Amino acid sequence: MIAINRSSGSALQLAALTSAALILLPLGYVTALALSADPVVWYRLWSTRVPELLLNTVTLAGAVAALTLVLGVSTAWMVTRFEFPGRRIWEVALVLPLAMPTYVLAYVYNYLLGFGGPMEHLWQLVAGPQARIFSPQSFWGVTLVMALDTFPFVYLLTRSALLSFNVSFEEVARTCGASHFYTMFRVTLPLLRPSIVAGLALVILYVVSDFGAVSLLRYQTLTYAVFQQMTGRSDNQAASILSLLLVILALLFLLAERWFRQKSRFYQTTGRYRAPRRIQRSWPYTTALTACLATVVGLAFGIPAYLLVAWSVSPEAQAILDSRFFGFVWNSAVLSTLAATAAVLVGLPLAYLASRKPTWLNIGCLQAAYAGYVLPGPVAALAVLVLFLNVIPFFYGTVLVLIVAYVLHFLPAGLQSLEPSIQQITPNLEEVSRTLGLSIRETWRRVTLPLIRNGVIVAWVLVFLQTMKELPATLLLRPVGFDTLAIRVWLEASEEYYQLAAPSALLIVLVGLPALVLLLSRDWRAA
Amino acid sequence: MNSFRHDASRTTVLTFQRTLGIAVACFVLLIAMNIPIIATAGEKLTVYSGRAERLIKPVLDDFTAKSGIQIELLSSGTTELVNRMKAEGDRCPADVFITNDAGSLEMARTAGLFRPLNMREVERAIPPQFRAADNSWIGLSGRFWIIVYNTTMVKPGQLQSLQDLADPMWKNKIAIPNAGSEYLQAGVSVIRASLGDDRTRKFLEGLRDNAGTQVYQKSSQIVDAVAKGQIAMGIVNHYYVYRHLATQPTAPLAVVMPDQQEGGMGAIMNVAGIGVLKHTPRMESAKLLVEFLVAQAGQKMFADLDKEYPLHPEVKADPALVERKSFRAALVPLTKLAELREPTMQLIEQVGMR
Repeated sequence: MIAINRSSGSALQLAALTSAALILLPLGYVTALALSADPVVWYRLWSTRVPELLLNTVTLAGAVAALTLVLGVSTAWMVTRFEFPGRRIWEVALVLPLAMPTYVLAYVYNYLLGFGGPMEHLWQLVAGPQARIFSPQSFWGVTLVMALDTFPFVYLLTRSALLSFNVSFEEVARTCGASHFYTMFRVTLPLLRPSIVAGLALVILYVVSDFGAVSLLRYQTLTYAVFQQMTGRSDNQAASILSLLLVILALLFLLAERWFRQKSRFYQTTGRYRAPRRIQRSWPYTTALTACLATVVGLAFGIPAYLLVAWSVSPEAQAILDSRFFGFVWNSAVLSTLAATAAVLVGLPLAYLASRKPTWLNIGCLQAAYAGYVLPGPVAALAVLVLFLNVIPFFYGTVLVLIVAYVLHFLPAGLQSLEPSIQQITPNLEEVSRTLGLSIRETWRRVTLPLIRNGVIVAWVLVFLQTMKELPATLLLRPVGFDTLAIRVWLEASEEYYQLAAPSALLIVLVGLPALVLLLSRDWRAA
Repeated sequence: MNSFRHDASRTTVLTFQRTLGIAVACFVLLIAMNIPIIATAGEKLTVYSGRAERLIKPVLDDFTAKSGIQIELLSSGTTELVNRMKAEGDRCPADVFITNDAGSLEMARTAGLFRPLNMREVERAIPPQFRAADNSWIGLSGRFWIIVYNTTMVKPGQLQSLQDLADPMWKNKIAIPNAGSEYLQAGVSVIRASLGDDRTRKFLEGLRDNAGTQVYQKSSQIVDAVAKGQIAMGIVNHYYVYRHLATQPTAPLAVVMPDQQEGGMGAIMNVAGIGVLKHTPRMESAKLLVEFLVAQAGQKMFADLDKEYPLHPEVKADPALVERKSFRAALVPLTKLAELREPTMQLIEQVGMR
């Protein structure tokens, strides 16, 4: 490697090792704390809370996965296999729910499905005045909210798989006499399986680590219990035990997905590829399709967004739009800026070294940074908290602690954009620059950085927007005077002051929309 | 042409570098700005508050208006804040701690977080049973556990004692606070001290079964649910009911002041209170705040705004409340709540309350 000489190489190496340590130390500390716990504590937890929490978490993940499977695959099918007016609009609209943090959707549904709420009134018109619908604060309520919020993951992956699908497979099946339905279930869907499973894995990880919706809807999961142990009992050890279980559970899901993907790989064996033709149907059919899509988009984004706007313009909400509110906006912006900048600064050396000098050490460092993936917000907060308390208590209660937690939590999101952008530029370019007499620093400044600029910007924006939405770690670690928009939504919504929570919630959703554009622009294929 | 392109790309490179440079500079600056929050001087008090912001901010705003002293407020969970103050030690940015549970205040005192206050205003205004022995913390307002019920679903006279709530006839009819809430823990401590562990355990098991999933994070949610008829009754601190009734006078709500029968243990009382942190450099301002809160004007705000029972003997509670003299409180000293707390939490956990 000409681009890296020894001195700057070791400086970079040091930076990468520090970054990896920053990530691994808190994790290690939590694990050590959990494993060093008295067996009595473990026994107490196993005999009281753990079975219920595990059952709740796993069944919720399962139910949400099943519902997102249906919603995601069917909507993807509709927009890729049929031609109807407005198809392109629906294609984009189906992604919008991703801009809605779970706690916002949960609080809107708390109102919509709540006792005496609008849905119940509608239902009573049909089923009689005494009829009740299921409560939002129940298993089915949480399942519905989480599924509406996460089905776009499945939709997106299934859609792109369907777009690159070779229609010859289906034609062969049809030629051999299989019916339409038989073809769909025995040929098409099995071929889509890897994409669908990848989408479901994202959904499940999201559900397992969610704090916002389960806390507002009072559904006991492991993530929520970690938070409760930390706040209600000041029992960091019990919290760390639950965290460890949670991380193991998330890892199991991830491994299962990997295994499953390995078992089912499909290859295109001929050079001939034809995309399927979109079917045009008669107008009753088209109307039915549009109605389906409108219901899904309406429930997951349209109605909630409309309510947020309506509540935001209500006089109660207008009354709180004072300098204090703009203080919260400022806090959110400052924290997100700090976290995004820190994540990029930490992520760059990691990604750079792993691609330029792929020793086991450097790759190990990079892999360590991806640990944040299986680390729900409360666990990241707990990890950083116990580490700072025991090792460098001087910084406890400052912004620094919060920033470290954010970086730990969101670095994977940043790396996913940094890593490919660095891999895409060949080392030859840097080597040429060095041969032509530029110093290492000059090369880095005038060749490498400009080339990876877009990747850096995307990483920065992604971390910025994730931090903007972040709730549990902020709740647990914020210093005095650092309430953010997310905190305000949660505080007001948890006392059911719908109007007062709306302006902050609306702002978070609006700011989240550009993130979607960024995410999509990378692998969106207009078709 | 070529040189033009070269210049253009060079400009973008420079712009990008500048942006990156500025980002790094901002980062360092912001971090630097934020760390010495601790050292901010001037007429500004930092208050950690375990009380809901809605209930304490108006009073603090009034203090700012009258004294010119700004208040920086961090509202969070009580136990969470006690932990935080312990962890932050001498570097704790808070000058004053306000919270809603005497047990937590006493625990903060035994952890050596507070500085005893020697103030005549306090001794004149607040009776000694509502303060720490050494005046490390001062009670500001009183609250009682009451049973709130929906008048369309429960008949008056059906309930007398908290013990009645454990009766299986109320299955799925009762809303209770979650196990982490300090007022539930304090209440259970009082029951344990009055009735012993065995009866308390039976009571809690009955309560747990009757409540099922109706376990709430906030008392205001319980009152809301009862008012809407979503659930028949609940255990809450009294003032949430009266605050609800103040905005919705027609809500079908009624209260039972429990355990007033012959030989009953009496209503469970707790206080919200204040303590001044040991290391604060702003002792004078902190004392001004304490003085403001125990004086008649401050006490009246707790009575009128929050519907709590003022502790100052000359300040009247809101007339809508049950007359304070008409019922008796359980005979468990507030200062004992701290030592009762740990075994209480173990009991709550063993019973498996959420």
